[in-house]
Amino acid sequence: MNRLKGTITSVESSGGISLIELDVNGNTFSALMIETPQSNPLLRTGEAVLLLFKETEVSIAKAFSGGISCRNRLRSTVSAIETSEILTKLTLDFRGTKVISIITTRSTEALGLAVGDEVEGIVKSNEISLKKAPE
Amino acid sequence: MIRIAVKKRLFGVDGEMELAVDFTVSEGEFITLFGKSGAGKTTMLRMLCGLEAPDEGVITVGNDIWFDSAKRINLPPQRRQAGFVFQNYALFPNMTVRRNLTFALDKSHDPATVGTLLKTVGLEALAERYPDTLSGGQKQRVALIRALVRRPKILLLDEPLSALDLQMRLKLQDELLRMHRSFGLTTLLVSHDLSEIFKLSDRVVMLEHGGIVRSGTPSELFVSNELGGKFKLTGEVLRIDKDGVLYILTLLIGNSVVRVVATDDEVAEIGIGDSITVASKAFNPIIEKL
Repeated sequence: MNRLKGTITSVESSGGISLIELDVNGNTFSALMIETPQSNPLLRTGEAVLLLFKETEVSIAKAFSGGISCRNRLRSTVSAIETSEILTKLTLDFRGTKVISIITTRSTEALGLAVGDEVEGIVKSNEISLKKAPE
Repeated sequence: MIRIAVKKRLFGVDGEMELAVDFTVSEGEFITLFGKSGAGKTTMLRMLCGLEAPDEGVITVGNDIWFDSAKRINLPPQRRQAGFVFQNYALFPNMTVRRNLTFALDKSHDPATVGTLLKTVGLEALAERYPDTLSGGQKQRVALIRALVRRPKILLLDEPLSALDLQMRLKLQDELLRMHRSFGLTTLLVSHDLSEIFKLSDRVVMLEHGGIVRSGTPSELFVSNELGGKFKLTGEVLRIDKDGVLYILTLLIGNSVVRVVATDDEVAEIGIGDSITVASKAFNPIIEKL
């Protein structure tokens, strides 16, 4: 599980769904929740939280241009590559924080990924879980 | 309301210890006592049903005093409206199922109760059988209704399902819940089985070294305070297999075996046999009508 420390900067709710904006070391992230500040009082501006997301939910883009609906883009450097027959584990250095991405080995080869490459890790908002940051 | 405010010195495997608790249970609540062996759970049940006396304190059920050391009141077990089921069935081997049940009746009770109860749980066909000819699950169902023939207000269960296989355990959990509701019982259960605790309990009381350390709903006690991970299951780790850059965890969740993907840092903290929670975002599940 990838873990990033962040702070809630805004909460927008409608019906039972909330879109939460977060700040992680100066980068904006967003997370979608089936919770509201009424159902969960921890959803409020200023709250320190951990952002959790599965390694297999981190897509990789290299030299990417054009629009994309995914709101979370982690500009990173590839610091390690571990390959197996079907899957590859990429270790990304996201501004000093380690983030893991697991993608197919086929995609790794198609993108020609190598250690030191500048890439973007891409995560959809609905894949990010929030947890109260440990005291 | 039931109030249990008692103290008792115990001599356990770890030496001398004081059991000191003070808590209340509302009518109709299903409470689980949770804690390591020797924490005092069974002693609490035995003090409630009158098999053991506290050194001091009070036990009141509604307006009735069952125990009060200051007033020198200590009702004998047969005068307390409490039914008790242990892990071992404790049925009389020389009596039929029906005799085992009528034997538990007070003279003041209507003997027809036995027939009605047997019918309610669908055990009429076994009424004339002897315990030795019954399966573990059947014996435990007989023990359960035997605890109910005297129309108790409180049902005390000391790991009643732990000796049964999973299938039977799940079936009897449903039956326990049904009886708890239809008989308007207040139930205290001792259990270590997390899925059982989640399924049955309104509240969990956690005991450690004779004292209550925490109390709350199963979710409050056992689930970390994750936000928005709406899909939360508790399971047991059966296998951990490394597969390329990933690990595959085989888990027992309820009565189904499921496989999930994990990474080395997640696997580093868990071992086979551990209880774990599996959470997923509410957005992921694929839904199909059966």
